[in-house]
Amino acid sequence: MSDLLVIGAGLSGLMAAYTAVKAGLSVNVVAKGLGSMHWSAATIDVLGYSPAQPETAVKRPLEQIPALIKANPQHPYALLTNEHIAQALAAFVALSKDVGVPYGGAANPGDNLLLPSPAGAARPAYLAPKGQLAGDLSRSEPMLIVGFEGLRDFFPELIAENLNKLGYSARAAFLPLKLATNRRDFTNVQLAQGMDSKEQRALLGPALKKLLRPGERIGLPAILGIKAHATVLAELERETGAPVFEIPTLPPSVPGVRLYTALRSYLQNLGVNLTAGMEVIHASAVAPNGTPGSIQWVESATSSRPLKLLADKFLLATGGILGGGFNSEMNGRVWETIFDLPLTVPQNRADWFQVRFISPEGHPVFSGGVTVNKAFQPTAGEQPIYGNLWAAGNLLGHCDTIQERSMEGIAIATGVAAAQALSS
Amino acid sequence: MFTESWHSVGPTLDECIKCNICTSYCPVSAVTDLFPGPKYVGPQAQRFRENGQPQSPDHSVDYCSGCRVCNEVCPTGVKIAEINARARAQIVAEEGIPLRNRLLGRNETLGKVGSVAPALANFSLHNSFSRVMAEKVMGIAREAPLPHWSTTGTFGDWFKKTQSVRLKSDKKVVYYHGCATMYYEPFVGKAAVAVFEHNGYEVLVPPQNCCGLPLLSNGEFGAAEGYHQNNINKLLVYAQAGLDIVGTSTSCTLTLKEEAPELLDMHSENVHAITMATWDIFEWLRERHGLGELKTDFSEMNMVLPYHAPCQYRAHRIGKPARDILVLIPGIDLRESQARCCGIAGTYGYKKEKYQIAMDVGAELFNFVADQGEAVEMTACDSETCRWQLEHGTDLPSRHPIEILAAAYGLYDLDKRDLVNR
Repeated sequence: MSDLLVIGAGLSGLMAAYTAVKAGLSVNVVAKGLGSMHWSAATIDVLGYSPAQPETAVKRPLEQIPALIKANPQHPYALLTNEHIAQALAAFVALSKDVGVPYGGAANPGDNLLLPSPAGAARPAYLAPKGQLAGDLSRSEPMLIVGFEGLRDFFPELIAENLNKLGYSARAAFLPLKLATNRRDFTNVQLAQGMDSKEQRALLGPALKKLLRPGERIGLPAILGIKAHATVLAELERETGAPVFEIPTLPPSVPGVRLYTALRSYLQNLGVNLTAGMEVIHASAVAPNGTPGSIQWVESATSSRPLKLLADKFLLATGGILGGGFNSEMNGRVWETIFDLPLTVPQNRADWFQVRFISPEGHPVFSGGVTVNKAFQPTAGEQPIYGNLWAAGNLLGHCDTIQERSMEGIAIATGVAAAQALSS
Repeated sequence: MFTESWHSVGPTLDECIKCNICTSYCPVSAVTDLFPGPKYVGPQAQRFRENGQPQSPDHSVDYCSGCRVCNEVCPTGVKIAEINARARAQIVAEEGIPLRNRLLGRNETLGKVGSVAPALANFSLHNSFSRVMAEKVMGIAREAPLPHWSTTGTFGDWFKKTQSVRLKSDKKVVYYHGCATMYYEPFVGKAAVAVFEHNGYEVLVPPQNCCGLPLLSNGEFGAAEGYHQNNINKLLVYAQAGLDIVGTSTSCTLTLKEEAPELLDMHSENVHAITMATWDIFEWLRERHGLGELKTDFSEMNMVLPYHAPCQYRAHRIGKPARDILVLIPGIDLRESQARCCGIAGTYGYKKEKYQIAMDVGAELFNFVADQGEAVEMTACDSETCRWQLEHGTDLPSRHPIEILAAAYGLYDLDKRDLVNR
């Protein structure tokens, strides 16, 4: 029994849990598995592209939001004032420092960063982990992109060449794999764990220094330590005398693992029990005539009988189609898996996608989701469906967070706001 | 033809999105190149194992310890550990099983044989000459923390002997003790009986046999099926009478609930009845507490207690019920381990070629215990082989949480590991 049960352990669920526990509630978090943060570059994207101009990167996202809302009054950001959004982002930045994974933004406050992607594209992001900041393409130093021979999924030549095509000065170089690991087989997370050891990384700084030309900054795959990340970064900058930045790799993403791990253990120290591997499969609700219903408990699957999870209040943060909060059938039916909340997803499969796979307008299926009121309670018409249910994050409808590059901004802003609404 | 369990396990591999979260969290592949990781030997290699392929592609699946961290972290619900267990069974079916694994799978037989003359058995097994020979001849690691037979009689002996003083009540519960409590650690069973009786329950201990898990994890599915069927035959009448079957070994209860039925394609109504009647003891106690029925007349304990939830809880998918109850006891400063696995994984760490891997995996836990400071006098864990590994890796005694709970009720002496005579 707790005051609040958060379902989902992505960024919105954890920010909501943090906000609620700080407001004095007892909070538990359950999740089917570990998800979204492990797949993400761990940047905080607030608004990268506006649907009105899908091919031009947004320069100052918070200033662009009013126009976005005007064009789309049901957008999740429209449930909040710009001040709320800015406060939630500031709360995240403060929390990131407290948990030991500090975030920062562009040199000119309010601007989006423009960070090199693993394909060498320029990616707008509002906040990024400290270790990615020196990659900002608004800086002028030429880039030395360094990979390791035989490392899967990181190709310095591709990155440098594409950056050159975009007009940024970059060149590629390789180091022997043994400077990163002695393992025969590995994931990027294991490489990063290896870098926590001083012996493993001892030769890396000097080798980088040899490759370096004066005035350059160094871009490396995001494997620079997990627990000792701050130390590794500082060491390399000291030993090379150059700014060093990480470029996120394909999943599993080390910056995402760092953020998730740090948030989780911080929350656990605040008394939040976070349990993964528990899939909520059923909700028991009562709905007296004429009033909103009430969730009595939810049930998760176990090795035997379902487990009843009791709480006064429930917050749904299971993500949308990508996060697993929705399921779908071949015939086009899409549904929310726990409460069967009404969704705005097109229920005809032919309407899910644009003709082009990489479509600048985004695909309609990704902008469908749950509709909530200003208190972040799922609604049918005006009325909340359940008096003690709130929802936040990527399952909210009326926006395409992939096309907009607004996923983390919405996760943080709505996660914080929903938790504030239910705590008040 | 695909079997029923192919349908419950196999198709989940189609859910794999190759994100490699499992490999990133796998404690075994973190410490050895011999195990490339859950994604590779599980959903990926499985593609080559199907539809009459002559042989499975890759023997490294034998280095899966079955800890199920992969299942827990998988965002899409792939049953990776089960895919691996079935792949190992296929290798055993094709190539046979080494004598050592055959022996390690027969916990119950070993328990029975040793208990005929436990002092002699302990001496015969636990002297350095025997251990060197066992390593050379059989491949059982000489340092591995093998258990000691009880020299004060089995749990069954004690329960029979004390029948006249056992509580009689309308409220009854069936106790599933498992092999470790029966032959090696009867005191765990005594503590459980004391806790049940303290809460007003009469304890029934019907005939039962090994749950079969050591056979399952060594790939001997045929023999395991016989064990499970015997348990169904012996316990069904109690389940049908509506009695809860409660166990102190997290691995036995998991096997009765889900592991045996799922891996062995046993899906009859009777098998399901046992699944639904079986409880882990702390899961059961937590349920009683939720209903306001658990006595909380605890005495102050005054201890710093590092607690490690065993991997089997991950597969039970019931959270950490022992933690949820232990935190109710005044004076226990419970330090919850976040370590992924102690390393031993049942019989895995007993094997010569896997002993060091098990110790390297366990280092995360051993270091956590060491970090808790000088005040720590013992650790706690629900699973017997994990406790033996914890003692081996930390040089501190380890107790089942039910021993701690019985002590908090004033019924049990944690040092002597025996009931307090009152």
